[in-house]
Amino acid sequence: MADLMQQPITWGSVSLMVLSAAVLLLIVLGYVTYAILFERKVIGWIQGRHGPNRLGPFGLLQTVADVIKLLIKEDIVPRNADRALFILAPVIVFVPSFTVLATIPYTRNLPFADLNVGLLYYAAISSISALGMLLGGWASNNKYSLIGGMRSAAQMISYEIPLVISFIGVILMSGSLRLSTIVEEQGPWFWQWNFVPQILGFLVFIVAALAELNRTPFDLPEAESELVAGYFTEYSGFRFAFFMLAEYVYVYAIAALTTILFLGGWHPPFPFLDFIPGIIWFLLKFCLVVFTIFWIRATMPRMRGDHLMSFGWKVLLPLSLINVFITAVVLEILR
Amino acid sequence: MTTRTEELLLNVGPQHPSTHGVFRLVVKLDGEVIKEATPVMGYLHRGTEKLAEDLTYTQIIPYTDRMDYLSAMTNNYVFCHAVETLMGIEIPERAEYLRVIVMELNRIASHLVWWGTYLLDIGAMSPFLYAFRDREKIIDLLNELSGARLTYFYMRVGGVKWDAPEGWIQKVKNFISYMKEKVDEYDDLVTGNEIFMARVKGVGTYDAETAINYGLSGPNLRCTGVEWDLRKTKPYSIYDRFEFDVPTQTAGDCYARYLVRIEEIRQSLRILEQATEQFPDGGEIMGKVPRAIRPPEGEVYVSVESPRGELGCYLISKGKPQPYRVKFRRPSFVNLQLLPKLLVGETLSNLIAILGAVDIVVGEVDG
Amino acid sequence: MKGLVKGLGVTFKNLTRKKVTYRYPDVPLKMPDRFRGIQHFIPEKCIVCNQCARICPTQCITLTGKPNPDPEKRVKVIDTFDINFEICILCDLCTEVCPTEAIVMTNNFELAAYSRDDLFKDKDWLVANNTNVRSENSLNKRAKGAN
Ligand code: SF4
Ligand code: SF4
Repeated sequence: MADLMQQPITWGSVSLMVLSAAVLLLIVLGYVTYAILFERKVIGWIQGRHGPNRLGPFGLLQTVADVIKLLIKEDIVPRNADRALFILAPVIVFVPSFTVLATIPYTRNLPFADLNVGLLYYAAISSISALGMLLGGWASNNKYSLIGGMRSAAQMISYEIPLVISFIGVILMSGSLRLSTIVEEQGPWFWQWNFVPQILGFLVFIVAALAELNRTPFDLPEAESELVAGYFTEYSGFRFAFFMLAEYVYVYAIAALTTILFLGGWHPPFPFLDFIPGIIWFLLKFCLVVFTIFWIRATMPRMRGDHLMSFGWKVLLPLSLINVFITAVVLEILR
Repeated sequence: MTTRTEELLLNVGPQHPSTHGVFRLVVKLDGEVIKEATPVMGYLHRGTEKLAEDLTYTQIIPYTDRMDYLSAMTNNYVFCHAVETLMGIEIPERAEYLRVIVMELNRIASHLVWWGTYLLDIGAMSPFLYAFRDREKIIDLLNELSGARLTYFYMRVGGVKWDAPEGWIQKVKNFISYMKEKVDEYDDLVTGNEIFMARVKGVGTYDAETAINYGLSGPNLRCTGVEWDLRKTKPYSIYDRFEFDVPTQTAGDCYARYLVRIEEIRQSLRILEQATEQFPDGGEIMGKVPRAIRPPEGEVYVSVESPRGELGCYLISKGKPQPYRVKFRRPSFVNLQLLPKLLVGETLSNLIAILGAVDIVVGEVDG
Repeated sequence: MKGLVKGLGVTFKNLTRKKVTYRYPDVPLKMPDRFRGIQHFIPEKCIVCNQCARICPTQCITLTGKPNPDPEKRVKVIDTFDINFEICILCDLCTEVCPTEAIVMTNNFELAAYSRDDLFKDKDWLVANNTNVRSENSLNKRAKGAN
């Protein structure tokens, strides 16, 4: 795959690229389907329920049915909405979420686009989604949507910064923005992975990532009990499905990124466990992160807007800067 | 070019996830800050008091179930108590104990619903399910006793309709020990949670004087440090036989109201413990009541401590089978009066926290 | 921070606890004997005294009698007996006052219907609703509680 990028563009290579993108999309769709089910199951179990269990064995077809329902629903555009923007917004939200997946390396031999600015690419592309949310909130011409859209824009901007700065520590450690190099640079033993030396950066990253994802406890933009559904209050049918999809694809992306940056990617926790293929380790860590995100959702109440802002700017940002500083100093001393 | 700013008029409700029923708040927003809030109520008005003028005394009792549907037992009781006071009916011991047990069970159930829904408003999902899981146990108990899950219609003028079925008291005892554990778990899950504290501490604060001036009662009053619980200050039924504390807090904010209610669950469990211990072995469950209930001419006001505050019943009889006038002092309605004043200057997310902490039941607000 | 971790602990503990949901409607819900469900009507016992219709707080019972087919007897027999379940609040008062236990409660509670008209139940329907009849019925036949 990697050399494909270097070759001159021919019909063959283009169609191979399109094909692999399509395969990835299918994998991602499959993942989203079962991530939603898994989330509902986990939250159900935590709450003394079984979660969806009516459709298919263990409710395996529940999300499929939900998606079909969303797809065959009437497509409603509110009369006073800004039609063009209203239609455009879900696209703007979804496309970046899928595009960022291109740089994620799953194992040593399975990177898609092994960009040398992978991390920067991720940070740059993913922030476009906020625009879509703001647009969606604005175009719906609904007061709740508008407030939700504003909140999400404010939140995304505030938390993007500590998120990106928390990357810097990792970048300093590995000396590269290329995601596969970052994984390779982490040692074979699990205490050599970045989450130990970069513990501060790791914590900042987790918090900022949750906020980026708009998930509990930072789900203000779609605070159900206040804003009904936030910026997608007026959306229904497949446009709504796109927002949902984007949300879960970002969960996918963030979980993958956490695994790569801090949890040692495809490395097994002990070198002697090397006989188990890297993809399994990657998936295990990935699932652990996803589970934690759902677990947190089942436990935490929601933060308040002003706390969220002051927390982002007054706590996370300084912390992430301190982390960069400490990392730089320590690296300089050790050299 | 000058920018033009405009206030945003937002209808919170009548169909809104956090108004707990069909209750509407019209708020004027400047950004997310509330400039003005006007509660609009009456969507659930069924005219209970007017209907009561055409019904016999027994027929009114099932209507009281539907006012504060989260604590139907207290509503039953206040009305029966008013009629009994007017007629001078003596209630048998066993019936009194049964009444206290069901009222306290109902108080716990009501506080649990509040706890769950409040946390849901604040954004936490699981507490809601936990609260309903544990409330289900109470409902099962009351269902076994009275034959209904929500609108119990258990009390009659002069006593109660059913005696405790076999083994029921033991089941209540089991529930008490179960619930004690659960309350501690609630504490672990929510009370110390930093995000939760940040949401509710110092939000919606008022002082004792304001609370009294606005006629607040129940946890809404006790959160300001006023020790006013009708079970202690004006004991009715057999509450003077039990030892329990009146939990108070002094902060007067949403967190204080939260703590008061959680502590009240513990105190109710204490009362239940004593009541089930002292429960008489046998005896009647109906006092001597004439076949036709016709209270003598006169009027009476009785009040009891419902989970939401002072629930009063004012009754005028002209010696007919139907009352001349019934008036209920509905605590949810009175507790709401402070809301417009409290909300000014708060943000939209605080609106939810403050409204939720009042603990309204729309059926009772609208009557 | 401590509170957050404690909270996570509580939810994690609950993850493995026994589930508390019912398998309704796969497994029917068994209501306790005293449960006030839909009434069952026994026409032979009814003496057309009209007490149930009079006590009903929502006036949802309508009944008519006809002269006894046996000319010797003066008591009327029941002709029509309808309960409108749109407004019946299942309060138990009709069964409480009925002197002959001609109308009794059952534990059945499933009344959902697609049309409001379906909620108007006549005598035949109420007679046919004869399962899960409550064992203790009017006030006089109260079971002696024992504790
Ligand atoms: S249960 Fe109550 S409302 Fe229903 S028919 Fe009987 S008396 Fe009327
Ligand atoms: S009270 Fe009983 S006997 Fe009298 S009319 Fe009604 S059902 Fe018949």
